[in-house]
Amino acid sequence: MTQFGTWQPKIRGRLYYNWPRGTCEEALRFTGSEQLGLEPYDLVIIGAGVVGCGLAYQLSQYELRVLLVDRLHDVGEGTSKANSAIIHTGYDAKPGTLESELLQEARAAWPDLAARLKIPVDPIGGIMLSVTDEQERQLTAAEKNAHANQATDVRILSAAEIREREPNASPDVRGGLLVPGESVGDPFMASIAYAEVALANGVDILLGTGIAGVELGQAPGAPVHHLVTDDGHRLPARRIINVAGLGSRRLADGYGGGAFDINPRRGQFVLFDKCARSLVRHMLLPMPSAHTKGVLVSPTIFGNLLAGPTAEDLPLDDPEATHTTVEGIRKVMEGGSRLVNGLTQQPVIATYAGARCACNQGSYMIRYNDGAPGVVTVTGVRSTGLTTSNSLARYLVDGMQKELGLELFSDTVALNARPESAWPGWWRRPFEDGVSDARSDHGCAVCFCEVISEGEIRDALDSPIRPRTMDALKRRTRALMGRCQGFDCKVPLAELVSGHTGIGIEQLTNNGPGSELVAPGQTVCPKEVSV
Amino acid sequence: MSEVHFKVAIIGGGPAGIGAAVGLAKRGVGPIVLIERRGEVGGTPMGYRKKPGGVPTFVEWTRGRVVFGEELAGRLTKRLAQTSTTIRLNTQVTKIYPAEKRLTLLGPDGFEDIVADAVVLAAGAREQTPAEKGWLAGSRTARVGFTRHVTGWLDRHGLLPARKPIVVGSDLIAYSAAAKLCALGSDEPVMIDRRRSPEASFFERLFFRRWTRPDWSGGVSTVEIKGHGSPTHLESSNGQEWQGDGVIICGQLVPNTELALMAGMAVDLPSRQLQLAQGQALSQPGWFAAGNVLGGFHGAQWCYFNGCSVARSVARFL
Ligand SMILES: Cc1cc2nc3c(=O)[nH]c(=O)nc-3n(C[C@H](O)[C@H](O)[C@H](O)COP(=O)(O)OP(=O)(O)OC[C@H]3O[C@@H](n4cnc5c(N)ncnc54)[C@H](O)[C@@H]3O)c2cc1C
Ligand SMILES: Cc1cc2nc3c(=O)[nH]c(=O)nc-3n(C[C@H](O)[C@H](O)[C@H](O)COP(=O)(O)OP(=O)(O)OC[C@H]3O[C@@H](n4cnc5c(N)ncnc54)[C@H](O)[C@@H]3O)c2cc1C
Repeated sequence: MTQFGTWQPKIRGRLYYNWPRGTCEEALRFTGSEQLGLEPYDLVIIGAGVVGCGLAYQLSQYELRVLLVDRLHDVGEGTSKANSAIIHTGYDAKPGTLESELLQEARAAWPDLAARLKIPVDPIGGIMLSVTDEQERQLTAAEKNAHANQATDVRILSAAEIREREPNASPDVRGGLLVPGESVGDPFMASIAYAEVALANGVDILLGTGIAGVELGQAPGAPVHHLVTDDGHRLPARRIINVAGLGSRRLADGYGGGAFDINPRRGQFVLFDKCARSLVRHMLLPMPSAHTKGVLVSPTIFGNLLAGPTAEDLPLDDPEATHTTVEGIRKVMEGGSRLVNGLTQQPVIATYAGARCACNQGSYMIRYNDGAPGVVTVTGVRSTGLTTSNSLARYLVDGMQKELGLELFSDTVALNARPESAWPGWWRRPFEDGVSDARSDHGCAVCFCEVISEGEIRDALDSPIRPRTMDALKRRTRALMGRCQGFDCKVPLAELVSGHTGIGIEQLTNNGPGSELVAPGQTVCPKEVSV
Repeated sequence: MSEVHFKVAIIGGGPAGIGAAVGLAKRGVGPIVLIERRGEVGGTPMGYRKKPGGVPTFVEWTRGRVVFGEELAGRLTKRLAQTSTTIRLNTQVTKIYPAEKRLTLLGPDGFEDIVADAVVLAAGAREQTPAEKGWLAGSRTARVGFTRHVTGWLDRHGLLPARKPIVVGSDLIAYSAAAKLCALGSDEPVMIDRRRSPEASFFERLFFRRWTRPDWSGGVSTVEIKGHGSPTHLESSNGQEWQGDGVIICGQLVPNTELALMAGMAVDLPSRQLQLAQGQALSQPGWFAAGNVLGGFHGAQWCYFNGCSVARSVARFL
């Protein structure tokens, strides 16, 4: 009998949070670089978004000393947590570009990757809808473009064919393009799964640790550089790869990287309740403009309906790049309603925004030995990074072999999959699928909307990247993600986390220090707690 | 899968569900099962603990008094205990099959189906989410919570969810949240709403004046939450600004009708209001609703009596 939450073989990497005392278990707390060992890392990855995690996973297949570091308090907590969650076929990419090449490679690789890493993906297919005469004329060109990207199953549909497939499509629809291969996936689980396997294989992960700058090594040949953290720790590294998304420019300034400009392109979304799921069968996409792919309406892998995103260019370092606006939400509703009838009648449960990393040098800008030997800059992974996370990692590893002289020896005991015994996950529930080792706490729901049990919360807390914030827990279990948005379960969940980890309930945060659940600076009066 | 049979199944053990059980027992109907997803019956009022210095917010009309929720819930629970109702705690109804009057339950022993000759939906209500309001946007910070969290943090843990709270909404629930916060040590809350004047009546406001005189701003347009990690202030599109370290989203209850909606029963959208026939019957024969799941705000004792009176319709149907 396999026990949920257990990993065989053991976890070889180290995980630390750079948090104040009392906010997580002492064993998880980063206090100094000596905890990571004295040898310089062969490679430090700055940015644990889906790109950084995918790269860590790829590198963990080799005998290398690798560190993955992020200023946020979970993996995949930046742009990688707020996107449309589509695994693209690349039918609409510009043929001949690196992006198109990586998308094509990814398309072939995803089914196997998703099965091994247990990332839920559903190939629901997409239909791009034309709602004006002019758009209808563009369909032929779009079909040709798709075929040039090897998406040979893409074909034009008549208005009647669309109505048959999508009874709730807007009456304005003139025709469309069927893209059978477009899939929806679990965007959170992608980063988490990569990082879990990487950690199991020996990659060290340091969270809550911003990198303020780089002290470049001066030795000729292969110098050792030092990353300096926001709080002054120095982390030695032979090679550095900057996959820090919107933080990449500032980091590149620190090591004299070449010229490029990036800015956040905000995308706002509206999430509808599960009763809205039945409105559509495929993801419905608008015809793209020069600036943006436009507002789409798509089922999510979780069984909700999603509309968005907007495309609003903001200045770099705008603190509101991931805020929603009433105006933006209105635009999403308007855009969605152009494709689907009756959208405005559907109950909204949440809104969110993500910030694409738009680069003036074009998408997927990669520079080796940028500013200094052994330093790599990757930026402008704007709209397709979830899809290409694995093919891009493969491409970067090849590149580092060639350009940086990175030597690779396979780690023969490395995992390339998450074990069956990885905790159940929201898509595989303890009491379903004939799983025999469910415990009674797997039957006590704590999040009622998504029916997530106390047992699943405990299993998630014990999973390899020990989630220690409410948001991190939410992305793994879906607790707090349902229609009541935590109305019923927020406090009971916090009690559960506190009880299981021993962290004082008043110390718990939404997403790291500075986001405490209650007014900071209070201590619990123990008599008040009734368990 | 085993299928235990009951005469009546009641979904939810709040005042309305208890009222239905008590009413049915009085009429000699049985066996009855009451299914409650929490570890105790009593429903929403149960979370309002009696505390020295606390604020009583539940009107007990029959005694002409305002009491703490758990006092009221305690009295109702005693009445329930005098019936022979089977009580299933920590058990959630996850799916219903209207035609067969079958329910799928998840409890400590896993999934189980039960069937009944009649079913009472008494699942209560929840507060509207910020996004659902349509006029509140901005940053997704910590400490943007609901009234339920105020009682959770204060009554269960003695912790203040905010020192400078901003209360969004102005109904009875909003005033009760403001009063609770103030009575237990927060600054005088700011209260904002789209309405020009507060939703709570003059007498209701008068009652709460003992504890709170919130700093009221009515007629606000669209509002954004500002801050990173934690909220720092709210800003309206017409330039108003309110400082605060926590936002409490109050009232505007949304009925918990999703079980019925997902099972194809007649439910209006986007309000999620059940379409009701005579005797609070739902669109499928043998299904009834009682309490706050009917939509709107109803006091707890009203919900209890409403449950009792639905028992009459149920008995007639049977
Ligand atoms: C609205 C929207 C819709 C999208 N839709 C899709 C889609 O449907 N399909 C798809 O494939 N892709 C989609 N994308 C694109 C996808 O989300 C991104 O390409 C991908 O998330 C980029 O990942 P990343 O790892 O490069 O960036 P990020 O996730 O932003 O990761 C960068 C990390 O670096 C960290 N960091 C930055 N500076 C520092 C520092 N100084 N020190 C330490 N850490 C630092 C950040 O905290 C962050 O976690 C969408 C994007 C948006 C915004
Ligand atoms: C936030 C809030 C604050 C309030 N404050 C006050 C106040 O201060 N004063 C006042 O007089 N009234 C107040 N009320 C109203 C009062 O709580 C209600 O009138 C009363 O509790 C409603 O009773 P009910 O039985 O309909 O619902 P509830 O008391 O909410 O009970 C519903 C029960 O059903 C259970 N349930 C729901 N779905 C399922 C399922 N699928 N399976 C199993 N069990 C389920 C729930 O766990 C809950 O215990 C408040 C209501 C809310 C929501």
